[in-house]
Amino acid sequence: MAILGRKDKTPLGIYIHIPFCRSKCQYCDFYSLTTKDDRLLDGYLDAICAHIKEAGALAPGYSVDTVYFGGGTPSFFGADGLATILTAVRSSFDVSNNAEITFEANPDSVSPKLLRKLHSEGFNRVSLGVQCDNDEILDKIGRPHNFAQAVAAVKQIRRAGFRNLSLDLIYGLPGQSVGSWERTLQNVLKLEPEHISCYGLKVEEGTALHKYQEYLNLPDDDAQADMYLAAVEILRGKGFRQYEISNFCRRNYESKHNMKYWTGGEYLGFGPDASSDFAGKRFKMVRDLRGYIDGILTGGQVIDDLQEIPPRERAGEYLMMRLRTGAGVLPQEYEKQYLLPFAPLEQVLVRYADSGHAAKLDNGHWRLTPEGFLISNSIISDLLVAQDKSAPLAKKR
Amino acid sequence: MTELSKIRNFSIIAHIDHGKSTLADRLLEACNAVDNRQGREQILDSMELEQERGITIKATAVQLNYKAEDGQTYHLNLIDTPGHVDFNYEVSRSLAACEGAVLVVDASQGVEAQTLANTYLAIDAGLEVLPVINKIDLPSARPAEVKAEVEDIIGIPAEDSPEISAKNGINIRSVLEMIVKDVPAPEGDRNAPLQALIFDSVYDSYRGVIVYTRIKQGTVRAGMDIKMMATGATYKVVEVGTMNPMGLTPRDALGAGEVGYITASIKNVADTQVGDTITTVENPAPQPLPGYRAVQPMVYSGVYPADGAKYQDLREALEKLKLNDASFVYELESSIALGFGFRCGFLGLLHMEIIQERLEREYNLDLITTAPNVVYRVTKTNGEVLMVDNPLDYPDPMEIELAEEPFVKISLIAPQEYVGNIMDLAQQRRGEFKDMVYLDANRVELHYEMPLNEIIYDFFDALKSRTRGYGSLDYELIGYRPSKLVKLDILLNGDIVDALSFILFADNAYPRARKICEKLKDNIPRAQFEIPVQAAIGGKIIARETIKALRKDVLAKCYGGDITRKKKLLEKQKEGKKRMRTFGTVSVPSEAFMAVLKLDED
Repeated sequence: MAILGRKDKTPLGIYIHIPFCRSKCQYCDFYSLTTKDDRLLDGYLDAICAHIKEAGALAPGYSVDTVYFGGGTPSFFGADGLATILTAVRSSFDVSNNAEITFEANPDSVSPKLLRKLHSEGFNRVSLGVQCDNDEILDKIGRPHNFAQAVAAVKQIRRAGFRNLSLDLIYGLPGQSVGSWERTLQNVLKLEPEHISCYGLKVEEGTALHKYQEYLNLPDDDAQADMYLAAVEILRGKGFRQYEISNFCRRNYESKHNMKYWTGGEYLGFGPDASSDFAGKRFKMVRDLRGYIDGILTGGQVIDDLQEIPPRERAGEYLMMRLRTGAGVLPQEYEKQYLLPFAPLEQVLVRYADSGHAAKLDNGHWRLTPEGFLISNSIISDLLVAQDKSAPLAKKR
Repeated sequence: MTELSKIRNFSIIAHIDHGKSTLADRLLEACNAVDNRQGREQILDSMELEQERGITIKATAVQLNYKAEDGQTYHLNLIDTPGHVDFNYEVSRSLAACEGAVLVVDASQGVEAQTLANTYLAIDAGLEVLPVINKIDLPSARPAEVKAEVEDIIGIPAEDSPEISAKNGINIRSVLEMIVKDVPAPEGDRNAPLQALIFDSVYDSYRGVIVYTRIKQGTVRAGMDIKMMATGATYKVVEVGTMNPMGLTPRDALGAGEVGYITASIKNVADTQVGDTITTVENPAPQPLPGYRAVQPMVYSGVYPADGAKYQDLREALEKLKLNDASFVYELESSIALGFGFRCGFLGLLHMEIIQERLEREYNLDLITTAPNVVYRVTKTNGEVLMVDNPLDYPDPMEIELAEEPFVKISLIAPQEYVGNIMDLAQQRRGEFKDMVYLDANRVELHYEMPLNEIIYDFFDALKSRTRGYGSLDYELIGYRPSKLVKLDILLNGDIVDALSFILFADNAYPRARKICEKLKDNIPRAQFEIPVQAAIGGKIIARETIKALRKDVLAKCYGGDITRKKKLLEKQKEGKKRMRTFGTVSVPSEAFMAVLKLDED
């Protein structure tokens, strides 16, 4: 009887949601609290570790190749807490030796001590929220740090031994111009990260920004589009590959964890509001810390929304997620996986290729150009209309 | 059969919202015909749409058994009439089935345009008109003044008119007593050849058409062979009976003076036209009852399925609706832009809206409706005369000798402070002022003659907004007059979209064209390229707007937790796109067609 070797196991990503922050940023709609209530923090730690243990027992055929601590602000939660959770993951799941283990950090909550500790625990990738190089704007959007702190944090991260650093930036901020955005990129490139994420500011309902947006001199859609294209141009010039709509990296520094979201990989999420896509089902934990803690520790309901995704819907997701990536979609793969014809989709893509929004690559993949990424919702919804009208292919015998 | 002296046939007439349907409900309750705890308001308006809009669309009738103060029991036949000017002919036929009309006047609003119009219809039909002052529970009620108004303006006695509140059930019996005392009993010879007036018909999938009728002469019973005198159709009667609040009650026979129904396995309401006379094959009446008129649609528009694949569904829905409504007509049409659809003719704008809403609701269809138009009369240089109900058929200007459009006489009533506003509005709409009469110290009635085309779009809405809701309107067709007409074409990305073409008065073309281009610009989503929107007359561009290219429509972040939300967003966008029609390279949502229809001047 053959023993199931690691190579035969299904890869799995693990996401840990740390719902704590020093302060709430004006634009943020993630689930996080600004509490420092020790009982709540301890309760969270107990609950998430128990949850991980429980889930680990249900996933024997999986090998974990990425762990991602997001938030909230994991660095604000502290090294000990993060280490405890990672230990729980390792003892309950089969975590591979070369797994990518990322934590998100803010410049104001890292210290040499914290970074050294996390590095020694096996964390090997840092995603640092820099957002902008203009202190006035940082203040306006409620970031609890300035740019000098970000520069210092990068130095500390490198000194602690991290070789894989991502910096998060936002464009379309209040009062920002294309010129000032370009300067931000130049200044950030001087910090020599392996990976950069550039997110267009989206004013989400329920955020402080939403309330005051009229008074904030926010760049309009056309300005945001110009900023986006400027970023693509500048980063490409510096050797960064655009491997996803908002993500750029040096060769081989793609976020392995995030790629799972865009390529249909499986992942389990722990902590309140964390999402999972596992064994054909997509589900989410309750968006409520106390509810999550009580649910886990007393055996109550923690799953908020569970959906079994039928194959036809997966076919839509394939288009919607893959077209976010630089690799795009592969017609043969699509037809084989979903037994749907690609030809009607190609008709749509050819139209967008004519206007410079899509391109067929030499390897047969169809991808969107940067201009196409910018209007990807519109392109994808056109593709979904075409998909809805297409009849399934006969199964080949 | 009921003795003639124990029958009263009456209808209730009123201006919209003066409480007609509520009074009808109270009369039913007072005769114990319905349980007032039944919960549903306005029993006679059984169509969902009627209840929602608070209007009566189809005529219905119901028989009440009322034990009067004289100790006798009377059969009161209440014939409910449609309350909108679009249905004037239907109203006149319903009235022809009665001997009396209860005129409901709102105690605070007083006499309005439709009060007058409906009263004149009733008087023309030789009916005894009995005013009732309603809504006396309102703090603003002024029953004495309103009674004086009724006497002064309409010229019928109102001194002893009941003062009631239909809503609160006050003085309802006095209305019933008045009906018994003052509505004349019907006359007629039950042994004469049959003459039965059709005042409505409905289609029932089990019995076929149910004809609502008033027997004027003779008697009808099951088994008789009957003939519709105008359409010539013959049938064998299956059942006759009366309409009761809870349903149909079969009877042995219906005789002169009675109101009831006839079923005869009739497949199509087109065979039972409102106003037609039913007689017997064996012993036919020498002539039909007066007043029959073939249905004549006033307003036409193209109706297309938003999703071209639903063409068959639309066809079936129209067939079914037509079973129940002989007054609208449709025929196949095809547009280069919209594919297969139907050219539909309606009695008026309200009728058009109702049919469209019923198609969308009852048959679950998404529709694209093209701009409504009237029927133009065009005399070509070769002498040929065309009735043009579709802009696509409008001849080349070079071939036109004379173009004419239908005119109406309109009557507008409003408090005098709005006279200026009304005059402005009427002038904008090419109205020719005829006269102005003071109805009382405060209110005036204005008469204009204007093209029908000017009132079919949004005239009533514009009137309401310019008179703070106080203005009321009535109109009647007065014939065709020569006019300067042009056909306006709309081009998207350089291609004519035939479904957006329409005919209009030449002097209005420029402002109208500009407005339409603006509206389309606002309602057509940006595409990946720039889209010019142009308006042209005979190839000459007279207005232009540009829809800028779409630059940004993206979700910057999409990680595990965002997928479900993003999926919903894209699903919604996808569904929106499915409802769009693609013209060449431009996608146009159905709302854009609607927006073009509603061009408010302000």
